[in-house]
Amino acid sequence: MEGLVLALFVCLILALITKYLSVPAIPFYILAGVLLGQAGLGLVASDQMSDFFSEMGLIFLLFFMGLGLKTERIASNRDAVLTSGIIDLNVNMLIGFVGAYLLGFSLIESLIVAAAFYISSTAMTVTSLIENRKLMIREAETIIWLMMFEDLVLIIFLAIASAGNQNLIIFFVKILIVLGFLYAFAHWGKEFLISILDRDDELPIIFTFAAVLTTASVSTYLGVPETMMVIALGAAFATTDPDAFEQHARPFKDVFLVVFFVFFGVTINFSGGANWFVIGVICILAVVSKFISGMLTGLAIHGSALSGLEIWGNTIGRGEFSIALAVLYGSPVVATTIAALVIVTSIIGSFTAKYSMSLRRGVVRMGRKKSPSHRIHS
Amino acid sequence: MALRSLNLPGVGTKYEFETDKGDTVAIFFTKNGTIQMYTLQKGCRTPSAAEMTPVEARRLGNILTGAIIEADQESVEIAFSALADLRITIHTFIIPGSIAGKTIEDLQIRAKTGATVIAVCRHDRNIINPPPTFAFEAGDAALVIGESDQIKMFETDILVG
Repeated sequence: MEGLVLALFVCLILALITKYLSVPAIPFYILAGVLLGQAGLGLVASDQMSDFFSEMGLIFLLFFMGLGLKTERIASNRDAVLTSGIIDLNVNMLIGFVGAYLLGFSLIESLIVAAAFYISSTAMTVTSLIENRKLMIREAETIIWLMMFEDLVLIIFLAIASAGNQNLIIFFVKILIVLGFLYAFAHWGKEFLISILDRDDELPIIFTFAAVLTTASVSTYLGVPETMMVIALGAAFATTDPDAFEQHARPFKDVFLVVFFVFFGVTINFSGGANWFVIGVICILAVVSKFISGMLTGLAIHGSALSGLEIWGNTIGRGEFSIALAVLYGSPVVATTIAALVIVTSIIGSFTAKYSMSLRRGVVRMGRKKSPSHRIHS
Repeated sequence: MALRSLNLPGVGTKYEFETDKGDTVAIFFTKNGTIQMYTLQKGCRTPSAAEMTPVEARRLGNILTGAIIEADQESVEIAFSALADLRITIHTFIIPGSIAGKTIEDLQIRAKTGATVIAVCRHDRNIINPPPTFAFEAGDAALVIGESDQIKMFETDILVG
């Protein structure tokens, strides 16, 4: 309990500082956890309470992800979304997987590392696009849809990974039944749901919290992973009034997710066989592979390497979903690697996102110096 | 001028249009409640941006619809083209100390000017349709409705005189 309070207090201070400097807070929460936990000072250890809070953080993160999935939101420029999504998926999964495998991870571990390596942080990307006033640049739309695509891939990945040893057909039938039930509930009970959400007393908040928690605990009885169930619940509720649900679930998500990040850091243990060389190579690869996929996407969608540079600069940071994967499926070594990956890429990513405009200008200027003939013509 | 609106997942709603002269204006209502306005001059590559709170955005909207805005006082003119081009002006005034303590009846606002006080804002509380016995305090913000001549008379005869 004291540990939890101490961790929360440290995070509060970190939140203040990172907001003031407008840098992403996630890497600093994890770092704080590492420093306070078993790898550092040993002041904070995870207990039942923090485990529960962390689990809530993960569940609400996934619930929010589900709320963002709206079937009618399929982009008008579907081809561009698909092209960029597939380039991003193939390049990063492949480099992540081959890199991890060659560095000595087992096949399964390499898959987890590759998935964590592939998925950029939606939260950090969107926040940085808004804060750096980049919403209007033409690459912004590409980047935003790319994040959406990555989220969808993650859901499919979670579904496959959580099926485990079960019979796949029975497993997916179960998921479909649950999904059907939740959608039917949202469809037939839409008026009831909206009447609850419209109230100004405490009822909407209690209802949202209870719905998420009930779904998560019922899933254990049905043998369906709670991660999938909570995403499905979010997706089903998204057909009613997603903004209201977001508003009522946000306080829970914000608080629990901080606990989730900091206690992920607390449980990191460097003596578990994590190798600094491996971590270093993975981090460098993570920046390079997003550069390759960003460049290819920029050239394919916008026909410009400068656009590729912009896409790269805004998608380097890995974050909440990579950590979710590490917590759900990672061995201690994998978790440590992913923790380092998130910390390094999100800090680098926040700088590249902030200074990508100057970077572009610098590249253009350098190009001009090398070939002065261009200048005369332009 | 074609207005495009678009829902961006996780970000909010985007409105964008291109002016006849080829400049582009884009407005984003972000999920965290701020409004960002971007303008991109024709031929330029990098847009310039301004971030606004909802209140600031409404003020900008008032300016763009042609209302006059002074430091603390603002006015909106509404034209009803269907009603023989009826023009109604709504103006806010800050009540000076000189008429503090007087009621709407004492000042004979309607008889002298024809304008009507429809609301008063005092310490962030709004009093809608104040009764004739309503007494002003210095610093009240009064919302006055009428034709533009009546509003001018209110300013010269009531506030100053």
